[in-house]
Amino acid sequence: MLIPRGPHLLLRALLPRAERDEVLVDLSAEFGAIAAADGERAARRWAWRQALGSAPALLGWTWWRGWTGFEPRANAYRPGGPMLKSWITDARFAARRLRNRPLYTLLAVLTLALGIGGSAAVFGLARPLLLDPLPYAHAGEVGTLWMTGWWTEEEFLFLRGRIPGFRQVAAHRPSDVILRDGEGPTRLVAARQTSWELFDVLGARPMLGRGFREGDDAQGAEPVVVLSYGLWQELGGQQSVVGQRLTLDGEPRTVIGVMPRGFWFPDPAVRLWHARPLNPQGRNGSYALTGRTAPGVSVEAMRPQLAGLAKMLGDRFEYSEAGDKTKEPAVTPLREELLGSMRPALLATLTAMGLILLIACANVAALMLGQVEGRTAELAVRSALGANRGRLTQQLVVEALLVGVLAAVAGGALAAGGFRLLAGALPLGAWSESARFDWTMFAAALALAVGAVLLVVLVPTVSLWRGDLRAKIGSARTGGIQGRGGRMEGALVVTEVALAMLIASGAALLVRSVSNLYAIDPGVRTEGLAVVDVMSSRSLPSAERRQTLDEIARALGALPGVRSVGVAMKLPLRGSGDSFGIRVEGRDADGPGTNTYFRIVTPTYFETMGMRLREGRTFDNSDRLFGPADTANVEMSVLVNEAFVRKHFPKETAIGRRLTGGFNAPQRIVGVVSDVAEAGLTDEDAAAVYYLAGQAPIFGASASLVLNAGSEAAAAGVLDAARGTVSRVAPEFAVQGTTTMRRVLDTAVGPARQIMALLALLSSLALVLGAVGIYGVIAHFAARRKRDWAIKVTLGLLPRRVIGSIVAQGAALVGGGVVIGLAGTAVLARLLESFLFRVGTLDPVAFAAAGAALLLIGLAAALVPAWRAGMLNPSVVLREQ
Amino acid sequence: MPTSPYAPLGVLEEQIVVAVLRSRDEGFGMQVRREIERATGRDLAIGAVYATLDRLEAKGLLRSDRARLDGASRRLFAVTPEGARALADTRAMRERLWAGVELSGLLALAGR
Repeated sequence: MLIPRGPHLLLRALLPRAERDEVLVDLSAEFGAIAAADGERAARRWAWRQALGSAPALLGWTWWRGWTGFEPRANAYRPGGPMLKSWITDARFAARRLRNRPLYTLLAVLTLALGIGGSAAVFGLARPLLLDPLPYAHAGEVGTLWMTGWWTEEEFLFLRGRIPGFRQVAAHRPSDVILRDGEGPTRLVAARQTSWELFDVLGARPMLGRGFREGDDAQGAEPVVVLSYGLWQELGGQQSVVGQRLTLDGEPRTVIGVMPRGFWFPDPAVRLWHARPLNPQGRNGSYALTGRTAPGVSVEAMRPQLAGLAKMLGDRFEYSEAGDKTKEPAVTPLREELLGSMRPALLATLTAMGLILLIACANVAALMLGQVEGRTAELAVRSALGANRGRLTQQLVVEALLVGVLAAVAGGALAAGGFRLLAGALPLGAWSESARFDWTMFAAALALAVGAVLLVVLVPTVSLWRGDLRAKIGSARTGGIQGRGGRMEGALVVTEVALAMLIASGAALLVRSVSNLYAIDPGVRTEGLAVVDVMSSRSLPSAERRQTLDEIARALGALPGVRSVGVAMKLPLRGSGDSFGIRVEGRDADGPGTNTYFRIVTPTYFETMGMRLREGRTFDNSDRLFGPADTANVEMSVLVNEAFVRKHFPKETAIGRRLTGGFNAPQRIVGVVSDVAEAGLTDEDAAAVYYLAGQAPIFGASASLVLNAGSEAAAAGVLDAARGTVSRVAPEFAVQGTTTMRRVLDTAVGPARQIMALLALLSSLALVLGAVGIYGVIAHFAARRKRDWAIKVTLGLLPRRVIGSIVAQGAALVGGGVVIGLAGTAVLARLLESFLFRVGTLDPVAFAAAGAALLLIGLAAALVPAWRAGMLNPSVVLREQ
Repeated sequence: MPTSPYAPLGVLEEQIVVAVLRSRDEGFGMQVRREIERATGRDLAIGAVYATLDRLEAKGLLRSDRARLDGASRRLFAVTPEGARALADTRAMRERLWAGVELSGLLALAGR
């Protein structure tokens, strides 16, 4: 009775040929005996157990026999040893060769490991953002409406339930909350306020309790929250949390559910979602609308539905020009909306890392080529003894694979170590915190390594197959008069330089762009200012909020080294912030473009920020603060900026003129201050009005305190004390964050700065690798022609001509590489387009700088071996050979 | 007499050398496997048995020769003097270790 086919085939494949038949016969006999005793089922199970249980042992056995070369006496006259015996022997031989050439091995492994580790780490970062599915059901059906962050409650409630083309739409906006858990300290939790539809639109279910349901955001509804898995764990991770109350912003809220682990929206920093009553008259436009399309409608093709939607909006609302929602309606797929902004940075880094890997491959290929040339005699002898080219190639492949495996291990370790560093260096926002190193990066490292070594081994293989080995025996013995060949090595160097050129010119483009950005004068002091962002409970009344802020400011002003403290609801360089329509008294009501930024500040703000007074005065004690008794008609004092004056009073003085609109009170201009970058760094100067905190009838929940500490070091040093002071003076306030104005500017410069730093690092790596490659190849070239030079020098050639000729050889290679690289750069620079500011993707200055750097480094690398060759004593060389 | 450099043998190695001894003139892989299964109830994979037999032969504790058995050529294993030495030393070590160990009290507890 034969054992079943599956186990039979498996064992047949794994058993050494000499013992195969007898073992299979024995197994079949045993199988028959078991079938007779316990039935066929039991016997089958036994056969499978035997086959699967034997597999690891047999593989180990095969490897061991191949490695040790052990052949039992009993098999002396029987054909067949273990499978792949020649491969195992080659592995053993390669291991011995690598052990005996530690420098070559170290160089090859480390070079490859750098490329592999870097690429694997970037891949690990990019995978969750670019490739992994979003944690939402059928995420392809979900999209976000245009003008994200500009929708009002009024518009949403008007549209709710009848947006053409959508099954359901949810409104949501960032709304961080202050959480107080029992008697514990207050803390700030990144949160999202949302309409009840959100989780239905996303197709996500809570793991505990329920999600929001209809009515949770209606007037008078009980306020409810859903926790993220992480926050739930922090609060104790008890199942009983559902139904309990948490104090958020000073108000009790009921926890109704906990989202599962791995769920995030719209980024992993957000840890709580809350619903609160939506106001049908609410005009605060800060919502994003995200919806799931109706059956049969795709996010990509919604033009007709959107036209209908725009018409609905146009019929119902009147829009100013700047905020016209009926223009250009569009839906962005959710992945694009949430992660799209990070794609260029990740792709640029991934490309740069890939290029580094290719450079490393070229370097290792050149190294191996040198090794193969050095082994010509050995290979020729082996071939004369009967080894065919396939067999010789196999030996090369095994050696390369061994190098690859070592490089994968080292690269995996590098990736694990450098991962955090890289996550911090890339502009990933909340994602850099949540990035985790996992096994897929090791898998990626291994896959990359195998791919890389196969690429590498191609080069010596081609050289092996092209050359006439037997003819080389002669030249190997005499050394030849003039060493020929080296074309392949030359091509490798040209490739390396071209690849390095790609990275270096990318870095140069970014350096230009970033220096252009830093050259912009934001109009405010950026040195020596500490910034403390605070937030209070929304339940705190506006007047109390302001008074507490005054107390905080006073306490911060008393800290050692602090010269002045200013408070503003929003700082420059941090996005557009609040704006409303302003009218100059006595002019036409509907003048175009009256939309004006408004900022609510304290009197010391201007001086602290280093804003210059152009005309009139800043706020002072003559500006009375309003109390509850003041009516809406009491006149307020305001300051305006120069852009405002240019726009509204181009030919007359603004001081003393009155404004209306915005807050419903007359506002008299008392001063004009210099323009600052109120929105973004690169925005044109825009009109802005500054109100005095205490006169303006509102004061938001969040505010920024600016401390002038004199120097950058002092500003950074005062932050900790400032944080402590806030929690001591005002426990009902939470510190959202502390930073310095310098870093606010860095953030405003944007992702280009971070990518630049990374690319600059990578291009120096590329330059080093390139220099090593050039050095190696030129040294090899010089060594091969040593005898030739020696004869020529004996006959009267000047040594400096020898040096010149070798350096010229290097220059030709580098020059060729630069030219080819330039052509590639023209294509690849488009990847960086979104980071470039006032620099074209074909910027000649950047390219010239990169090319010059490469040429210089290339020449320096060639000069070393050239010098050595020029200094050789010809008589020594000629006697040597 | 010096102890064998291979003592003490691993558990599987020891079982296999003993099983080869017990199989007398029929010490081929499957027979060895059967012996062990009969004595210990352990269902060993044949691959593991062959791999260990091979390694023991490489160490010189076993040797194998081809012979015809029931009409078929088989690799038959026999224990070498070095193997016998290693086995004896392993056993001696074990017995020294066990000398004076009293388990009955604990076993009575386990049986309860």
